[in-house]
Amino acid sequence: MKRIIALVATTALVGVASAQTKIVIDGSTTVGPIAKAFAEYTMAAHPEVNISVSESGSGNGAKGLLNGTCDIADMSRSMKDTEFKACADKGIQPVAHVVALDGLPILVHPSNPVKDLTVEQVRKIYLGEITNWKEVGGPDQKIVTISRDTSSGTYETFEEKVMEKGKIREDCEYVGSNGAIRSRVQTTPAAIGYAGLGFVDKTVKALKVNGISPSAETVQSGQYPIARPLFMYTNGYPALGSPLYQFVTIHLSEDGQEMVEDIGFVPVTAY
Amino acid sequence: MTGNTSKSLVMSDAASIRQRIGSWIGQGFLLLATSLSAFAVFFIFYFILKDAIPFFQLEGFKEFFASKRWYPSGHPAEFGALSIFVGTGLVTLGAIVVAVPLGISAAVCLSDLLPFGIRQIVKPVIEILAAIPSVAFGFFALVVFAPLLQRSGGAILATGAWLVLGPILALLVVVGGDLLLEKMRNRIQGKKRYLASVSVFGVLGLGSILFLVFLSRRLGGIEINSGTNALNVSIILGIMALPTIVSVSEDALQAAGRELREGSYALGSTRAETILKAVIPASVSGILAAVILGVMRAIGETMVVWMASGNAARIPDPWYNVLQPIRTLTATIAGDMGEADHVTGSARYHVLFAMAFCLLAFSFLMNLASELIVKRSRKKLGK
Amino acid sequence: MRLETRKLLDKAFSGLGLIAIAVMATALVLILSPIIWRGSKAFVFKGTIEHRRVMLEQFNRGNPDRFNQEWVQVAKAREPVYRMLADFEAEMREMPSSERREYRSAFKELQEAVEILLGPAPGEDIPVLIRKRYGQTRWDRTQIKLHEVLYSEEWDYSNPDAMGILVEKPRLEQFMGTKLEPFFAYVEEHIDEIMRPKTTFYWQFITDTSKDSHIFGGIWPEVLGTIYLTLGAMIFAIPMGVIAAIYLCEYAKEGRIVSFLRICISTLAGVPSIVFGLFGLAFFLNTMHVSDSRSVLAGSMTLSLLILPTIIRSSEEAILAVPRSYKEAAFGLGAGRWRTVLTVILPAALPGILTGIVISMGRAAGETAPIIFTAAVSVGAPLKIWETLNQPTPALPWNIYNLCTEHEAVDEIRHVQYGMVLTLVALVLLLNLFAILMRARISKKLRG
Repeated sequence: MKRIIALVATTALVGVASAQTKIVIDGSTTVGPIAKAFAEYTMAAHPEVNISVSESGSGNGAKGLLNGTCDIADMSRSMKDTEFKACADKGIQPVAHVVALDGLPILVHPSNPVKDLTVEQVRKIYLGEITNWKEVGGPDQKIVTISRDTSSGTYETFEEKVMEKGKIREDCEYVGSNGAIRSRVQTTPAAIGYAGLGFVDKTVKALKVNGISPSAETVQSGQYPIARPLFMYTNGYPALGSPLYQFVTIHLSEDGQEMVEDIGFVPVTAY
Repeated sequence: MTGNTSKSLVMSDAASIRQRIGSWIGQGFLLLATSLSAFAVFFIFYFILKDAIPFFQLEGFKEFFASKRWYPSGHPAEFGALSIFVGTGLVTLGAIVVAVPLGISAAVCLSDLLPFGIRQIVKPVIEILAAIPSVAFGFFALVVFAPLLQRSGGAILATGAWLVLGPILALLVVVGGDLLLEKMRNRIQGKKRYLASVSVFGVLGLGSILFLVFLSRRLGGIEINSGTNALNVSIILGIMALPTIVSVSEDALQAAGRELREGSYALGSTRAETILKAVIPASVSGILAAVILGVMRAIGETMVVWMASGNAARIPDPWYNVLQPIRTLTATIAGDMGEADHVTGSARYHVLFAMAFCLLAFSFLMNLASELIVKRSRKKLGK
Repeated sequence: MRLETRKLLDKAFSGLGLIAIAVMATALVLILSPIIWRGSKAFVFKGTIEHRRVMLEQFNRGNPDRFNQEWVQVAKAREPVYRMLADFEAEMREMPSSERREYRSAFKELQEAVEILLGPAPGEDIPVLIRKRYGQTRWDRTQIKLHEVLYSEEWDYSNPDAMGILVEKPRLEQFMGTKLEPFFAYVEEHIDEIMRPKTTFYWQFITDTSKDSHIFGGIWPEVLGTIYLTLGAMIFAIPMGVIAAIYLCEYAKEGRIVSFLRICISTLAGVPSIVFGLFGLAFFLNTMHVSDSRSVLAGSMTLSLLILPTIIRSSEEAILAVPRSYKEAAFGLGAGRWRTVLTVILPAALPGILTGIVISMGRAAGETAPIIFTAAVSVGAPLKIWETLNQPTPALPWNIYNLCTEHEAVDEIRHVQYGMVLTLVALVLLLNLFAILMRARISKKLRG
């Protein structure tokens, strides 16, 4: 083990010298597709920059930024006070870049005749007070609730906007990502789930919530009740012209807007 | 030993001392390196425990082990891991039910029934099964097996019942019928005996077929809400634990020795009787060790349960209902690490280490148990 | 019991054992066959003209002249498609607004379906996202998307007591009597000329980098990452493992200390893999700071701990299998213990040690849980060798998980997922096959 340590010490020194052109991105699986697209876009233009993207959850992003293990933290929620404070204590100054807006569509299987739920009904379904689709105008089928894992910004947004501190029923299934929510819902006729706007396709049906269907327009105008901004956090504002700076300003360019739109999220710019 | 051996065959005192010191240093180095490898396990215990203790300081033991409410992100957070422990136990139990009978019969078959040539073919098959990476099993469970289970779960269950219970019932009918006939033999004579045997076997056989049909009807009617459930995971984990169980218990059966078998044959036993009444009792401790190792494999597996268990932190209702999703310790660690944060010192981070510590402690105890069992059996067999 | 019954029972018993083995073999076949069958489709499949376009434009592969010739023909075949769409759009503009509204959404849906099938229409701006630049590259996906062009899916919710039923309506019905009427028959009949499917052998799937997060291209960063992690783990584990084995077999006297060491090692073998992952995070990254982010180095070190017991055990077995006479002969010739170990025992045990190493390489390559927190990311460029010290990498096992659960287009890239699983399984099984063959040779040598 000692030899390993010695080896590591020397190699780490060498490593730092050659680490100028890497950008490590960690965080939310919701922001993941945007980060991945931006990463390939940047790497195509600047082959000398190596960008790696992990999708391990918003909290992991914040943790990475705090520990200096990542340069950009993707987050689908804003930083918590505790995280901010911990950063400040360590001399790290998190700067938020809002790269896109997102709604949380409530997803059901397309065979489900239910078209419209209120936030209250969604809440009751997840609380376990409504357990059958019959109670909300559907057929006599037990509701299978599916939620994002508790370790995700998406879950915390849902908890904040829908659950209002209520505790989700115990038999709720948890899955690790937006994609997994969609695949669970599309294979389970009686399921209900929620995911990022970019993950909705024709294999699942996004319900109207309070009569508003989730779309770029309704999210942008604030009509759709379950919406949120998506962030990338950096430590301080990146130096002008640096690869990092270029990365976190892509969303402000025309190409960036197109990518955000094509991935299915709502851009913050309107060219 | 530097090439001047031609000068004198006897080493000088100085050279001898130098050599002895050299060999001590060399041995010391080897011991050091070996202990470093061995002490890695203490490092692991220490670092896991170091981050696990703060959890118990913050939240205490009672909630963690006794409460069923797992809301790590709630306000206030609740860390009741009972249902997660139960989930882990349930899939492990399921894996045992799948793997132990299969594994032991396969081991018996390998050690006592198959000719050498076929054995040489079967063994690599087992090794291949053992070598497949767990994520490939997880992928299979999630992408192939779960949709299948969900779409035609009832049919699969019914077929499974036929496949499993069919041979067992057939065997029972034969043995039971035979025993009955033997009792009646004294009373019935001549042609009637033939009639009696036909009727006994007929009634028993018909009864068991009817039972199977009834059972498969019932099972066939079951609709599975989600294919990612305890059953799916149990089956896959069982398959994954099979190679361990087979190879370790085969070793144990082999170790029982030729003399024992030959003695039993000499007393007029059939092969089945020899194995059941002589070989298996003699190697029961080795088989137990095999089962323990299999259990450890199932408990420690992460990817399969993370991908295909449904991850619902809830005790199924009723507890043996394997068609409901469950959540296990390993999957919780893998899945919840994303939001857990050690710098802000939240209990959410430390609870995962507490879980890891439970896993670690459990596997340590199991390991110790299997070591002891093997050691004792070796002593008993005089080896 | 009667003798016949006992015999029957004996047979049944044999049967039971055979059934068990058959079940095991069946399980193996059932698990491997979809992986092999569908995984091979990542390498050999019917590729459309769009696949060849991706290859040419993104990877500079293929003959540009031949492609251009083919493309001219494809463009000719596609021309009527776009003309009919344009004609209908013009027709729609002429319609009274009430009628126009009726068609508008259906037409938009159709246009989108066509764009997914064929890629952006000629003359449109080139999209930034690579996935939007091309149509369907694979014939099997083409047929699915063609179906979506020809039929619209609707759900019949007329029975309030049951889930809706999927009704597929030909889009032809929607556009009956308009200029789009011949469109559907044309597309259906000429799809071969529009897409030009051709059996493609895409072995570069392994050596190509991925484009647009695995929607196009291959899996080289993952393969390379797996190789790095495995070799890195070996660099740490082999010296430690072999030294420990030598010590335990040749030097240590059986006693309390040694049996204690053995218990430690066997406990290490029983530690669940996820616990190794946590330990790697807590020790190598958070305490030792071997690198400032997750890295191949940290992952390798974690993996090396995981395979250490396997290497120790197999090396021990190999050393013990060396006949005593070798050792005694060496001692008899006056060789010291150290020299005996180095020049006699190790060479004789080497094949056995190598077998153990190869098997544990397979194990290291396939493990996922230890690298989740220490080394793996979902997208990254292939690393240069010195970058492994401080940069994280994609790796096959982690990216299989990532692609089949977290990716935004899970269903579109099933072939990539299966291809990855096949590559990983093939890698691991080849290593094991190699080990099995090697062991067969050793046992032959020892016997003969």
